[in-house]
Amino acid sequence: MRNAASFREGWLAAGIGLLLLFPLSSPDAFFLDVFTTGFLLAAFAASWDVVGGVSGQITLGHALPFGAAAYACALLTTLAGWPLPLAVAAAVLLAAAVGAGIGALSAPLAGPFVALLTLALGEIAHEAAVGHTFFSGPGGYAWGGEGGIPVALPWRDASPFSSYYAALAFLCLASFGMLRFSRSGAGLILRAVAGSPITAQASGVPIARFKRLAFTVGSAFAGAAGAGFVLHVGRATATDLSLELSFQAATFAAVGGRGTIVGPVVAALVLHVLFQGLSLPPSARVLLYALTLLVTLRFFPGGVVGTARDLASRLGGKEAARPPRRRGRNNPGEGTP
Amino acid sequence: MASPLPQVLLDGLFAGGTYALMAAGMALILGVVKVINLSHGAFFTLGAYVAYALAERGVGTPIAAAPLAAVIAFAFGVFLGKSFVNPARSHPFALPVGTLACALLFEQAAQMVWGPHPLSIEAGAPWIGPGGLVIRRWGVIAFLSSAALLGGLKWVLSARPGLPLRLIAEDEEIAGSLGMDVEAIRYLTFGGACAMAAAAGALLSPSGAVTPTMGRAPLLLSLVVVIVAGMDSVAAIFLLSIGLGIFGNACAWLLSPQWSYVALLAAVCLLLSARPAGIVVTAGRRD
Amino acid sequence: MNTLLTADRITKSFGATQVLSGITLSVAPGEPVGLFGPNGSGKTTLANILSGLLLPDAGTVRFDGKEITRLPLDARYRLGIARTFQIPHPYPALSVREAVRVALAVDAGKRKEGGGRREDEEGPAEGLLARTGLFNQRFVPCAKLSQGCLRRLEFARTLACRPKLLILDEVFSALSAADEGDLMALLRAVNRDEGTAFLLVSHNPPLLKALCRRILVLEEGRIVRERTV
Repeated sequence: MRNAASFREGWLAAGIGLLLLFPLSSPDAFFLDVFTTGFLLAAFAASWDVVGGVSGQITLGHALPFGAAAYACALLTTLAGWPLPLAVAAAVLLAAAVGAGIGALSAPLAGPFVALLTLALGEIAHEAAVGHTFFSGPGGYAWGGEGGIPVALPWRDASPFSSYYAALAFLCLASFGMLRFSRSGAGLILRAVAGSPITAQASGVPIARFKRLAFTVGSAFAGAAGAGFVLHVGRATATDLSLELSFQAATFAAVGGRGTIVGPVVAALVLHVLFQGLSLPPSARVLLYALTLLVTLRFFPGGVVGTARDLASRLGGKEAARPPRRRGRNNPGEGTP
Repeated sequence: MASPLPQVLLDGLFAGGTYALMAAGMALILGVVKVINLSHGAFFTLGAYVAYALAERGVGTPIAAAPLAAVIAFAFGVFLGKSFVNPARSHPFALPVGTLACALLFEQAAQMVWGPHPLSIEAGAPWIGPGGLVIRRWGVIAFLSSAALLGGLKWVLSARPGLPLRLIAEDEEIAGSLGMDVEAIRYLTFGGACAMAAAAGALLSPSGAVTPTMGRAPLLLSLVVVIVAGMDSVAAIFLLSIGLGIFGNACAWLLSPQWSYVALLAAVCLLLSARPAGIVVTAGRRD
Repeated sequence: MNTLLTADRITKSFGATQVLSGITLSVAPGEPVGLFGPNGSGKTTLANILSGLLLPDAGTVRFDGKEITRLPLDARYRLGIARTFQIPHPYPALSVREAVRVALAVDAGKRKEGGGRREDEEGPAEGLLARTGLFNQRFVPCAKLSQGCLRRLEFARTLACRPKLLILDEVFSALSAADEGDLMALLRAVNRDEGTAFLLVSHNPPLLKALCRRILVLEEGRIVRERTV
């Protein structure tokens, strides 16, 4: 019997290997940059999946913790003069706190209303960022609005190679962490809450508390991705809080396969590198993302991973009763199935 | 120079009364189709651009643009309702994200065709009322058209033709067992509601800037109205829309248009946090 | 303490319809009680109020001496009141074993965030699955179970917290003879060996007589009769 898990892991290892080797082929700095932002967006997509895929809380405002961390990094380093590591740590904590707040507000609500509330919260933050200007200390410049806020970086010009590998390392670490979380005991409970809240409640799960947990963890990782993003780009702009960005996260997850963590990562990389690599203008990209989402919903509801699983089970026979790989005590049981 | 307050009130009255058309459409969608349609604002924008396209070709009156916009929107709405909304109704992910995708798709398409910059439509000379009050001709037309259409809607809903809609809103199983084609009624209602939104957009198009994202604020306004006023009373929807129209106009005049958008967003958040009984539980729980 | 659960003058209306009028009942520790009534008598509403799914308009519910009227479903589970659903809503994406693990994870505050002592949960999960006859299907996705197996899963889920009281809403209706026999035996064993009280809601008189020691008869929102078997 083909072991589906090691098959998947083989592909993952191959993919990571290819990504590690890619810069050695001396590509254009432009493409290195596209991949670097792609890695960060992929981490962002995975963080959406923690909330919207694993836990079933459809959020259309996931750009909020992402952008909040970005702006926190920028403001703390530029206006308050904090050292970068401290600012990044504070930014991630802020994102987690924002997530806890969003979770607390959306916990009593049912599905589509969570989407509506998170959309509204994200848009409020976006409007605040677009409209608000900040004044620097000594220079007296006004920052903010559409132009955004710069980050005070300790390095002059990062080499595209080091940015690339740093972002890739971050993506691997973050994805690994999120994958472990989704497979942990807490992750199991979250998947139960997503699948059937009433049964979970009748099994003793405090639903609101776990919804808050989902948002907090997902937002913390989103904040980490946002901090990484702003370190790479050098500026926090209002686009980091936009509805279009929140929508992209949901699209990556839908295309990749909600709840799989890995699916959204792969989808984000492929789609971002493709659309940005072809140098399409931003509005064309949003249009293509919207089209991709609609096509996926209509023809591939399980996303790439879901469709692949379906194909695999149809080609390989019944996949239903597949035991996990962990070794456990074998308890012979009675009873008729 | 007239005191600004009556002007603000009058313009808000015209705008709010017309937004009521859109809010009523949202109420129909929420009540009969039982979904939150995030593309409702895009249909409003569609109506405005149809009016602009007609104005470019010399047909400047919104009253001519509104029916055309309604027909186009009805066609799109029925298509969307049949192919996407009906099958995806009970999916907590597909519905909101899918309708949002449609909205973004339209916004970007409009931006590619007409550009991101605000466009304006020639309004024609307004009447001047007492104390220098500027009474915009299109405002009166929009308000009266909306009131007439809503009156018609109210009549339809309370008479025999409206019975299927009320029954489906109350209890779908009974409606189905009575032999009604519930699916068809759903996508036809969806199309009709989209037509109402587009008509509102066409009627209000001379009011200011036509931009690709202009539908976002009216979408939120419709949601606020339906959450607060409920889906049962057309009159309540009309009055509350007028109230919000005036409030939004006052906000935009005193502070800025961005502030009225933020105020609507904040209203949505507050209402959802307070969870009034007016929110219907949407269809199904499966994914 | 001679009563485990007490309901005092429970009243509930839905709109203009009065569904329950002044229900007062009690269940002693380890007592098997039946709740009988025709359709529309308010049995399920009463079960929902006693298990925490609905709030009553008036009246109180006490458990182990504590007032629990406003306590939600999950808090009551943690106190030891577990309920089954007449129409189960299985987890679409979890296996049978995982569903039981969810109920076990919450038991005794084992809610560790991230990781968790999975070793501690494996034994009890297997045991519950064996008792309810689901061991051979433990890796089957819940959504693919038959109605009979779904009811067995409901039992497994509720027994995970070692409950003091089970509220069973029509748990034996529309089952095959084999499933019904197995689950009746299980319920008797749980009641006899672990001293778990239960309140069995059913419209099937022979079933109630076979399992319960006392039967309450509900008619149009009132308890009209009480029979001791």
